Amino acid sequence: MKSALRAYLLLTPALLVLGALFLGGFAPSLLQSFGYFPAVGMTEPTLSFYREVFGGREFLPSLLFSLRIAFLSSAGAVVFGTLLALLLLRTGRGEKIEGALAAIPVIVPHTVAVLLVLNLLARTGLLARLLFASGFISSPDGMPSLVFDRGGLGVIAVYLWKGIPFAAVVVYVVLRNMNTRLWESATVLGASRFQAFRYVVLPLLLPSLSSTFVLLFGFSFGAFEAPFLIGPTFPRALPVAAYSAYIHPDPTFRPYSMVMVVVITFIAMLLVYLYSFFLAGEERAS
Amino acid sequence: MKTRSPFAPLLLFAFLTLLLLPVLVLLIWSVARSWPWPSLLPAAYSAAEWKSLFSASSRLVPVLLQSVLLAGGVTLLSLAASVPAAKALGLLSFPGKSVVEMLVLAPVIVPPLSYAPGMHLLFLRLGIADSFAGVLLAHLVPCLPYGIRILTNVFRALGDRLEMQARVLGASPAQAFLHVTLPLIAPGMASAGGLLFIVSLSQYLLTFFLGGGRIVTLSMVLLPLVKDGERAAAAVWSTLFIAVSLLFCLLMERAAKRCASSRDTFFLS
Amino acid sequence: MTFRSTIRTKCCMLLIFALFFAAAPRLFASDWGAVLDASRGTIVNFYGWGGDPNVNAWLDTFVAPRLKERYGIVLNRVGMGIGEVLNKLLSEKAAEKTDGVIDVVWINGENFFAARRNDLLFGPFTQALPNFREFVDAAAGDVAFDFGFPTEGYESPYGKAQLVFFRDTERLKEAPGGHEELLEAAKKHPGTITYPAPPDFTGSAFVRTVVCDIVGREALVSLPADKEALRKAVAPAMEFLVALKPYLWMRGESYPASSSQIKNMFADGEIVLGMSYTPFLAPGRIAAGEFPESTESFVFEKGTVGNTHFLAIPFNASNASGAMVVINEILTPEAQASKYDPAVWGDLPVLEYARLSSEERALFESVDTGKGTVPLDFMLRRRVPELPANFIPILDEIWRETVLK
Repeated sequence: MKSALRAYLLLTPALLVLGALFLGGFAPSLLQSFGYFPAVGMTEPTLSFYREVFGGREFLPSLLFSLRIAFLSSAGAVVFGTLLALLLLRTGRGEKIEGALAAIPVIVPHTVAVLLVLNLLARTGLLARLLFASGFISSPDGMPSLVFDRGGLGVIAVYLWKGIPFAAVVVYVVLRNMNTRLWESATVLGASRFQAFRYVVLPLLLPSLSSTFVLLFGFSFGAFEAPFLIGPTFPRALPVAAYSAYIHPDPTFRPYSMVMVVVITFIAMLLVYLYSFFLAGEERAS
Repeated sequence: MKTRSPFAPLLLFAFLTLLLLPVLVLLIWSVARSWPWPSLLPAAYSAAEWKSLFSASSRLVPVLLQSVLLAGGVTLLSLAASVPAAKALGLLSFPGKSVVEMLVLAPVIVPPLSYAPGMHLLFLRLGIADSFAGVLLAHLVPCLPYGIRILTNVFRALGDRLEMQARVLGASPAQAFLHVTLPLIAPGMASAGGLLFIVSLSQYLLTFFLGGGRIVTLSMVLLPLVKDGERAAAAVWSTLFIAVSLLFCLLMERAAKRCASSRDTFFLS
Repeated sequence: MTFRSTIRTKCCMLLIFALFFAAAPRLFASDWGAVLDASRGTIVNFYGWGGDPNVNAWLDTFVAPRLKERYGIVLNRVGMGIGEVLNKLLSEKAAEKTDGVIDVVWINGENFFAARRNDLLFGPFTQALPNFREFVDAAAGDVAFDFGFPTEGYESPYGKAQLVFFRDTERLKEAPGGHEELLEAAKKHPGTITYPAPPDFTGSAFVRTVVCDIVGREALVSLPADKEALRKAVAPAMEFLVALKPYLWMRGESYPASSSQIKNMFADGEIVLGMSYTPFLAPGRIAAGEFPESTESFVFEKGTVGNTHFLAIPFNASNASGAMVVINEILTPEAQASKYDPAVWGDLPVLEYARLSSEERALFESVDTGKGTVPLDFMLRRRVPELPANFIPILDEIWRETVLK
């Protein structure tokens, strides 16, 4: 009992800040989503904004778009990140300059990453210029749409560029701490390298991979900058749609925005639950 | 584990090229005056954007100062709140622990858009909207979880036996923390500090909502430049952003190393 | 009524001052002197869209030094879109914040309408400005009304704009004189024409220009601001935009998010035709070497939409007197002539020509409107007044629902 008291005492500053700011910040959004917004004379709580948003023509495409880019980018980041980590380990360059270089995208903010992707993949970007120089396309119009496209490839590219090194760092640390003899003895026993990876290493990596996947998924689902800057006009990612409704000149539109904010928060909280579940697994594994 | 085939190094090289080539292109853009389609390299170079960065009207000094003071302050405050919280989560067991763990992790995944508009209303009532203090406080939300998470792992790896020993030998709790625990967790704090600094520096939406245009950080300058397609200016500010982040990370890395080596001497003496 | 109630919370000087001109329509020189005294040595926070580097540079390098020199005022320009500004003010109103940070805001159209409806502006103040009284015709349609909505002295004209197209004559030989010819041009040059997606300012104005070209402004202005009524009325225009879609950049799958992107794409040669709400954009960009020498501006034969943009003061501005000095300064012939220059900005002046002295007229006459422009009088004759302010968000929504889908 005394240790519980001590624990809570130690946690007080952090919980106070997070509790007050996070919940205090979310509560008005929740109220406004139910049409309670006295500042513009809306005082009757109603579910009609939820009905209207859910029934609107852009909500579902937006939600699906956000889920899609989040899924593809985080799955890609985990797969390629694992590959990069294995390469760093195999070549023994993980602790050398290559390892440090590979981690650079982790510290570059998303806004800059957007600029990088634009410079490379836009219709007059470096890739298009290279394709032109080698005769594959004859004009910018011949270039397939990689940014501002409805599939969100540009947005995914931003998240991949940031996510792959992040996943690689996580996986690299786990692999390095892993008993390498496990892997070696598996190969000695006649397993192919792939089999050894598949049946020996992968199961041990799985908790870290899952938690990294959920973390990246959650981040790219809720983040606003990348889809705002290089997302398609339709469908807009859910956070972008929410933001656009927020800055609508008519303030009575704000509840529509807040409905989307509440949906984003709800999904994010589900992911938080999943994340802490996987983290617990990770701790048991280590 | 080393392999003799040249395949792995080549693949690694390809990976690094893909990851770093964009940064190189960024550097070229920052000195390009005109880069018309379909040239592979700029038609004309100029240092004009760099010069205008250092001119008075670019507000470079106030922006840098505000960014660094803000991110630095957030880092210090986050660490101060993270250390006790991480100690509780890493070393003690108590009822409701899993719920607390989830709550302190939540802001890593729940986006600022969820709480920024409401936080603006809250801060208006408290009278700290459009102020440095308000933005500082707001940044704690996305930053704290990172600090707590990293330091929880540090405490877990460390255990509490050394601090206990010190207590048994007659040190007060404060002495034990200051002379035993703190030097031991210092490297972890330094690496967490680097991350916290970057997370704070990258916040756009929170700074925008709670700074109300008064608090202008690197992110606040950068997003409109990218949005409005000012490519050369955006490249220059991006380069600056990366340089500041890298510099801070290197400083933290060195601090961590110094802490680690002083810890060794601590053990030896 | 609301005017008085907002004022009550402000500082003493402003209270007296405001009550004074609420009672008297005109202010004497000594009262303006009091405003100047109160604002000396203060900072004025100027909030407005910051997406055009030319506009930013004009405020930073022309207006700011003059204010500093003549009135000891420091102009602090903050780039923030009007949508964000209004929402900030709205939150501040909800929290009853009376010492707001925004002193001057760049505004017009549907945003002014929304701001007035929610009592977010301070005023009326324009009659207090000496330069407004001297040079501006307060009764003129494009000063007294903003997108059909009475301004009532709550905003002061800043400049006039009109949608102007520009093309690369080397690649697009004929200037499309109307919507049909635009479609022909798009068919001939697939993938190289586009417009920004509404609610971007320029994109929204382009859609309204097409609407006016096809169904005519007169058929619309008398309609109620009702989505279904408008949807029916503008259906032929939306059908046209749908028909245009497959020939647009990215086959109309996506649209540029802003007019700045249009500018970049035209400079890169990615598109052969663009549009801008700054009538003299092209000459400035040609001179800067960004646009090809072969760039030429044009307007539709039936005209393009044009409007006045304004400056206003928020209800809770901490420095309303400083704000008035800034706005008054922007109404000087020197400032208006300076931003008229395409090399500087290329924005049309708001002063009455007849009220200027011959020296002041010479300031405007000496401006070289440069290469590739539409002659000013020709353009103004083809200026279609804006549709009512409360139509704009509805039309933008209809575009999203019918054209974008």
